[in-house]
Amino acid sequence: MRRMFLIARREYFAYARTVGFWLSMLVLPMFILLGASLPGYMRDSAPLRHVAVVDLSGAGVGAELTAAVERNRVKDVADDLRDAAVAEAGPEKADSVRDAAEKEGVEAGVARLKAVAPRTAAAWRTPASKVRVIAPPTDVAAARTVADAERALRPYIEGDRTLAGDRTLDAAVILTMRNGEPAARFWSKGVTDTRAEDTIRDGLEEVVKARRLAAAGVTPEQARELETVRPRLDVFSTRSASGQAVEFRDRLPGLIGFIFGMLLWSTIITGASILLNSVMEEKSNRVLEVLLSSASTTEILAGKVTGVAAITATVLGVWSAFGALALAGVASAAPGIVGDFVSVLTEGGLIVYLLIYLIGGYLMYALLFAAIGAFCETPREAQTLLGPIMILLSAPIIVLQLAIRTPDMALVKILSWVPLFTPFLMPARITAEPPLVEVIGTMVGMGLTAAFMIWLGGKAFRAGALSTAKLDWKGVFALLRRER
Amino acid sequence: MDSALSLEGVSKRYGRFEAVKDLSFAVEPGTICGFLGPNGAGKTSTLRMILGLTDPNAGRITVLGADNGGKVRDRIGFLPEERGLYRKMTPVDAIAFFAALKGVPMGEGRKRARRLLEEQGLADSMKKPMKALSKGMAQKVQLMASIAHEPELVILDEPFSGLDPVNQEGLEQIIRGLASRGATVLFSTHVMQHAERLCQKVVLLAKGRKVFEGSVAAARAEAPMHLEIEGRVTAADVAALPGVAAVESVAVEGEEDGVYAHSASLAKTADPQAALKAAFSRGLDVRRFEMKPPTLHDAFIVLTGGDR
Repeated sequence: MRRMFLIARREYFAYARTVGFWLSMLVLPMFILLGASLPGYMRDSAPLRHVAVVDLSGAGVGAELTAAVERNRVKDVADDLRDAAVAEAGPEKADSVRDAAEKEGVEAGVARLKAVAPRTAAAWRTPASKVRVIAPPTDVAAARTVADAERALRPYIEGDRTLAGDRTLDAAVILTMRNGEPAARFWSKGVTDTRAEDTIRDGLEEVVKARRLAAAGVTPEQARELETVRPRLDVFSTRSASGQAVEFRDRLPGLIGFIFGMLLWSTIITGASILLNSVMEEKSNRVLEVLLSSASTTEILAGKVTGVAAITATVLGVWSAFGALALAGVASAAPGIVGDFVSVLTEGGLIVYLLIYLIGGYLMYALLFAAIGAFCETPREAQTLLGPIMILLSAPIIVLQLAIRTPDMALVKILSWVPLFTPFLMPARITAEPPLVEVIGTMVGMGLTAAFMIWLGGKAFRAGALSTAKLDWKGVFALLRRER
Repeated sequence: MDSALSLEGVSKRYGRFEAVKDLSFAVEPGTICGFLGPNGAGKTSTLRMILGLTDPNAGRITVLGADNGGKVRDRIGFLPEERGLYRKMTPVDAIAFFAALKGVPMGEGRKRARRLLEEQGLADSMKKPMKALSKGMAQKVQLMASIAHEPELVILDEPFSGLDPVNQEGLEQIIRGLASRGATVLFSTHVMQHAERLCQKVVLLAKGRKVFEGSVAAARAEAPMHLEIEGRVTAADVAALPGVAAVESVAVEGEEDGVYAHSASLAKTADPQAALKAAFSRGLDVRRFEMKPPTLHDAFIVLTGGDR
């Protein structure tokens, strides 16, 4: 026990004292933070585009397009308002915020938000439009043909001429009638930034739709009313927490199962890889033989596995701290979600199951990787042996997504019985309450495999540590047969 | 007195290859024993079995009264042939860590590490990482890591390889120091001079079998005595002397014609005095006559059948 502790401590500090360890650990939270804030930042920092509408249709399409673009903008803001409101106010009240914005305008939507979700409203900033439709310069407006208009537009688009107030014209749309329907030619300087083009396309689509509906006898008001139709669908499940309607809380276990399945996969693989590199370094540095003369194989393996487990626990601890901070942020806006999250984790002992799968999975893979490390002195040698295992390991990631949506699918069920996949697939299935026999059966299988790995890992570790055998699976098996 | 180490009929196979065959020998407490043999003789396999790193296929090993070296690992110090330590550790930390594995409290291990490093002139390198040390320095540190817990049995696999003459001399002193405080030392080496100077006992191995066990003097006695004869004497004259088994001759440069230097090997039981008497009685023109006792190196060649 003393030797095991000493080896574990050395293993832990060998990593924990390096700057690289802390940097790599912070990468994930930073990535998530960036991922969450980047789209908003990019949206806010995007430059405003001015698009001139040159109406040569002779049928007032220009005014219709300008109105449609504005309506689409309001619709987008209404959706954003609903998304912002849902955490604090719940889905029904959030829908009412969107409806207010869509029917009465953005100001009305914001007012409704203040009423149903005051904390969210306090932080709300209505996003400014990044595409503004404007009237064309007078010389362009005077053009009577498409060719004239394009000729007049070119110097503005190319930046040789500017609009009043030294503003630049980024794009222009020339509207005509073709076969009785509005058509457009869109001109811009750049070809990569398609925001203006998309805005005009969406607006024009609205115009054409409205005209066709009008031709069929539908008034513009009726058409707009139809656009906002959202039939009410109440979803019920016998497995929902309330026994009736399915709420966000009922979908949470599946989400948690998926997140934990992915987290277990990455944690286990990261931990096992650290162990592989550590053993490989000791073998190439010729430390393993001295270590073997100072402690038993079991003590060395247990020490190393414990040390790396402590490193993994540190990583999970730091990530959990970030997660808790994030939850605290969410809690201030939506205390219900945090409560649901905690109750899902504790209800039915889900957290205990997840812990068992984490330990079982880590033991299986850590010992396997440590044993492989004992045969290798270079990453290239390790690659030779790890190749087939890594291919095998990619399977649960693919199946995991199926397990969340359809946890009772035959393929998912069968694969979750394979002990090497159990720790990744069962966390995803467990939230769908599979039969107890499957839960216990797969756990027993995983436990037996972990015990087998402890035995095999010890044997392979000793054989590998003292050998200079040819590095392929055939050579490894020959050594294992020899090892007594 | 019980042996510190004894092997009885020990064999080790790797697949079809028999690395060690029916090996038996014993080492008394407090002695320095040389474990000699050519490459592939089975030395490292034997040392690993003594340490309990691998199990013998047959036979019995007793180490410090235990039937497996693993059971008394805290009382054994081991320096493997291929050496290395954690590259980012300092010498003090490395020595203290391995001493701690052998039961020495970490604080005490650090104290011992500092003392040992100072004694070996490595005080300036105490805080440097191992990777910054020269090969010789790193080898010394590893040796210290293997003896800092003051083991009763010290096993050194080729400890002199890679060391310069000054460090070899230093290592000899360390080994003598270990024995003087009562430790038993078993070391394998190719350099016979070290074994000759240090060992009270040697065990010679060839192709997995023991070919000799005994004192250095007894080992030397296994090799023939040599005579160095110089003068106006022919090879045939030397070959005709009693007890001479073989002669090699060369003309002596700078001398008149007919002056040769002969190196004669005597038969195992031959008396060199009888050859000297015969040379005088036969009136041979001998200018130099020297008896050269065999070295351990000679014995090694003879006992291992020249299999180096």
